[in-house]
Amino acid sequence: MRPPASRERRPLLRAEGRSTVRALFTPQLLGYHFATMRTGHDRGGALKWSLVGPTLLLLVAFNVFPLLWNVVLSFTNAELVGEGSRFIGGAHYARVFSDPQFAIALRRTAAFVALAVSIELAIGFALALALRRDFPGKPAILTTLLVPMMLSPAVMGLYWSLVLNGNYGILNQILGAVGLPQPQWVTDRDWKLVSILLVDVWMWTPFMMLIALAGLSAIPASIYEAAEIDRASRWTVFTRITLPMCAPLLGLAVLLRATDALKQFDLVMAITGPNDGATQTLSTLLYQVVFRDGKVGLGSAYACTVLVVVVALATVFTRYVDRLRERGLAR
Amino acid sequence: MKALRAFVIALGFLAAALPLLWMGITSIKHRDATISQHPKWIPAPAALDSSSSPFFTVTTEALGGLSKVHAGAQHTFLEHLRNSAIIGVLSTIASVLLGTCCAYGFSRFAIRGSKDWLFFILSTRFMPPLAVVVPVLLMYRRFDLQGTHAGLVLLYTVFNLSLAVWLMKGFLDEIPRAYEEAALVDGWSRAQAFVRVVLPEARTGMAVTAVFCLISAWNEYGFAMTLNSSGAVTVPAYFAGLQGNIEGMPWPQVAAGALVFVAPIVVFTVRMRGHLLRGMTFGTIKQ
Repeated sequence: MRPPASRERRPLLRAEGRSTVRALFTPQLLGYHFATMRTGHDRGGALKWSLVGPTLLLLVAFNVFPLLWNVVLSFTNAELVGEGSRFIGGAHYARVFSDPQFAIALRRTAAFVALAVSIELAIGFALALALRRDFPGKPAILTTLLVPMMLSPAVMGLYWSLVLNGNYGILNQILGAVGLPQPQWVTDRDWKLVSILLVDVWMWTPFMMLIALAGLSAIPASIYEAAEIDRASRWTVFTRITLPMCAPLLGLAVLLRATDALKQFDLVMAITGPNDGATQTLSTLLYQVVFRDGKVGLGSAYACTVLVVVVALATVFTRYVDRLRERGLAR
Repeated sequence: MKALRAFVIALGFLAAALPLLWMGITSIKHRDATISQHPKWIPAPAALDSSSSPFFTVTTEALGGLSKVHAGAQHTFLEHLRNSAIIGVLSTIASVLLGTCCAYGFSRFAIRGSKDWLFFILSTRFMPPLAVVVPVLLMYRRFDLQGTHAGLVLLYTVFNLSLAVWLMKGFLDEIPRAYEEAALVDGWSRAQAFVRVVLPEARTGMAVTAVFCLISAWNEYGFAMTLNSSGAVTVPAYFAGLQGNIEGMPWPQVAAGALVFVAPIVVFTVRMRGHLLRGMTFGTIKQ
């Protein structure tokens, strides 16, 4: 936890507990004036821009510039191979909004995000509640539980298609052994998206658990003690204390996870490929249009449309962090 | 309640650990054993290995095969691993250096619109790679960066800057200003104070940031696959390319490769377990 004093931006020079005028005459500060006179870096000036400048320039060059270029491309009939393209107006946008493939991918992505995030939240929160108390071996178990979220989705996706294989995958062999149905996870139309969801849940539930644990540990014990004195039932304690006090951080987790799930690309590519009618998400549709069909212009129009959603989510996220910060829950 | 707790923990632990354990088991099998209709999970002498037994014969074929070129491929797994390592390490160094400088600027100086700049920096992280990759591809074609290590190093550096800046800002904000003020009073310049006082204090933060940058560069797939499909192919792009292999998937090799690829990440996760919350939330959540 950082000291509260550093949160507000105060001038570097003002010494604590002294008036500015008196502070100017302390021997230390006379030395400071000498130092800044010599280097000329008083309030940062050139130094501060040389610190932040390179990063901002790179981000502009690799994010803002490509985005603007994308907007330009979306009004042309540019193709991936071959030079020369011409301006064709808003034809691509007209197509984006009338294209059933885009609408389906959009709806599928929305459903995927909603399902993945809520399942991960529910399981992650349950795990966090179970892991709340200390017990022998907790650090090792906790660390093991957190591993999946650190791994590469593309590599793990490919490996999971072995686990999920309908004929010889270990999952179906386990399901068969306990007498449950054994769906053809990765080849059956109705199960493909479920497979991707399953792997996503495997990878990202730990993330929800991690944040839920942080939320739980931030609830002061005194509140629970007070509830105990009031003889509140377990259910009341859970719905009136635990849940509401965890909610702000869980909200942050949901936002972060939702923006990530919205981009879902790696798992879909590794498990079913980009052009599968049953699993095509926005990102894979974009890939298919640009890199398989070579239609750069149309792809750019898709990308620009998707970006509106992304920017909206990013805005919500930072507003949210600001509000958490006001309540002392975030940095 | 206690029993329920233990049950939930046990179930979660198995769900997280078993797939990884199975990966290890698969990597020491012959291919036939990986596509057997009977789960083979006990390593045993060859005599016990029959089509309906749970025993399989241990082989280092797949692990040894990582240094061989497979049918239909042009490079060995280890060459792809080297590409991943070169690109990951170089981009990490660059991101951490740039990110630390930038975060220091935002942490200590009054920069006009600093909130908006920080929002802009973070928002680049929310961008789907596929939304910016076409112009980047066109730029890279123009400058012959497609399929090179340098191209991906540059891109990953930029891609990780948002993470590096936000994480480092959190760490730098925690270092009391009094330290630098004392150094300034002693007659050091701002730059000297930054290098000799602040950076040593920020060592832990830089290490944590570096690990998170390295992991996200290591795991990245979208840019790697679209920009470097022919040269300097990283492991995730190579692996995804195996999908739809005509010869049938070489499962032991896939498992062995995945094992080697994720092993360093597992080690880092264990070492970094106290900082995971920070790293995964851009340093926004207090611990």
